[in-house]
Amino acid sequence: MVDLATKSLLHDRLRFLITVSGVAFAVTLVFVQVGLFLGLLDNASVTIEHISADLWVTSRNTPNVDFAHTFPETAVQRVRSVPGVAAADNLIVWFMTVNLPSGAQEGTLAYALSDFRRWNIPWNVESGDVDDLKRGQYLFLDGSAVKRYGPFAVGEYREILGQRMKIIGRTRDALSFTTTPISFLDFDRAQKLSPDLLKNRTTYVLVKLAPGADAAAVKAEIARRLPYNDVYTKKEWAARSRRYWVQSTGIGLNMYITVFLGCLVGIVVVAQTLYTSTMEHIKEFGTVKAIGGGNLDIYRILGKQATIAGVAGFVLGALMAFALRPAIAKIDLKLIITPVFAAIVFAGSVVMCLAAAMISFRKVASIDPALVFRA
Amino acid sequence: MRVLEAMDVTKDYEEGHERVAVLHGVSLALERGEIVALEGPSGSGKTTLLSILGCILTASSGRVVVDGEPVDPANRSRLPEIRRRSIGFVFQQFNLFPSLTAVENVEYALNVKGAKGAAARSEAERVLDAVGLSDRRDFLPRDLSGGQKQRIAIARALAGRAPILLADEPTANLDSHIGAQILEMFRSLAKKENRALFIVTHDPKVRSISDRVLQIRDGRVAAGESETVGAALAAARGRGQAPPLPMTRSSAAL
Repeated sequence: MVDLATKSLLHDRLRFLITVSGVAFAVTLVFVQVGLFLGLLDNASVTIEHISADLWVTSRNTPNVDFAHTFPETAVQRVRSVPGVAAADNLIVWFMTVNLPSGAQEGTLAYALSDFRRWNIPWNVESGDVDDLKRGQYLFLDGSAVKRYGPFAVGEYREILGQRMKIIGRTRDALSFTTTPISFLDFDRAQKLSPDLLKNRTTYVLVKLAPGADAAAVKAEIARRLPYNDVYTKKEWAARSRRYWVQSTGIGLNMYITVFLGCLVGIVVVAQTLYTSTMEHIKEFGTVKAIGGGNLDIYRILGKQATIAGVAGFVLGALMAFALRPAIAKIDLKLIITPVFAAIVFAGSVVMCLAAAMISFRKVASIDPALVFRA
Repeated sequence: MRVLEAMDVTKDYEEGHERVAVLHGVSLALERGEIVALEGPSGSGKTTLLSILGCILTASSGRVVVDGEPVDPANRSRLPEIRRRSIGFVFQQFNLFPSLTAVENVEYALNVKGAKGAAARSEAERVLDAVGLSDRRDFLPRDLSGGQKQRIAIARALAGRAPILLADEPTANLDSHIGAQILEMFRSLAKKENRALFIVTHDPKVRSISDRVLQIRDGRVAAGESETVGAALAAARGRGQAPPLPMTRSSAAL
């Protein structure tokens, strides 16, 4: 079977390149925009994902993990007494001011626990031992702080909320959604740093379920016993934290608009080049009809050409997006491209090209085969 | 054996608010193995008649029978099938696919006609050999001369063994020497394979290869031929045989 579609498409290599570039541009734009968006959202829930808690008890209407409100620390006792709870601990997440050697002030989002190992944070420790945190005025600081605080080393001191604290460890990848560096310190130390607001208070209770416990039932029981708090599963809490940023800022709308514009540009480029190509090959299509071919034969040719352009454009676009990853990582941003996301973009790029080919379909349907007799 | 008949065919077009008549009661017939030339000045209706005989256009009225099948203007979806089965075209501009090689141009036409795989490839090679272009089978049209291109176009028309070959000014883009060679080759192949060949032309050389020459003027074919077929039709009516199709149809482009 002679493959007129492919041969005709590749015959004009420049036009093919333009078509593929149009698709690749749209694909790269979608990958980068959505990938960055997913990366930012990942920051919004990165601690929730890594902390090995099955349930989170929060104060009522806490919008996301970074914007914590306090409640009495004794709530943890009531949680521990609920059947099906294997362990429960208080967690303070609190924004604190850091005085830098230069005299400037910066912020840190402090995560304070009594037992870090039990809850599996921090998850990437470059140096230091988290068990040492309870032994004095110590903290762990994430490496991302270098950008905001300037270079620092383990063993140096920083002033947090007016108190001198020694950096005894360094972590990696612990960033909040707002890119505020995360620090880790002992729970009691955190309360002492801000006694007015944190004395006898906590911001969360982390809950680990006993093996075989019914999560929904335990959650309901905790909610019953703590009527002024909210209880979320890990998945619900992560989703709520991410949703806050999508809905309360322009980031979601911005992402949707950019993706829409990217697809629109892709469709316009592909439609324009395919349509121009169809017009230039109109006599060939007339010949196909004259020798006995029907509209369906020509639709197949255009459909195949659009599909080839879609697949080639996807591959090129995906390669460009992956090539951008190291550069994006250098500015502490994450480009997350999951297999499911890539599959959706692949299907979308092919559908986009086929949609663009529809415009040419209409033209083809009206081709008069008698044009083959015209000079 | 008669393979193509046109009886009392008319064709008119709507041009603005007016109807312009292009053909006025044209009748003609072709036998298998017969070569007929149609001569006439520009605008006389030659190409319109060729389009109707080739089932690319339909007649406004009258009757066309292709390879034994009456053409029903109301059933336009049937026309591609008639073209695939019964008609091979040769165009003035060659109309080859520029991205396909010589053999692929022929093979693609066979694919459209329903032949696939090795059968299509061997038939394509057979006709290319018949037109003397076996050694150019893998050349793209841009690398071939005008005469070679027209020979590929003839091979494409011959492929699939359609009983009717319709050619529109096949020598118009060739110099006179090459044109004469092409015509002679076309004639001998049509005769050898017992195909009916209908050539629309301005070229007086076509006369030399034709069994009959028809003249068309202002949409009317020269009296002799029209009367012959017209008389046959009248005789059929006289024997009480109704024409298989109504004589008047609305015009419709494909």
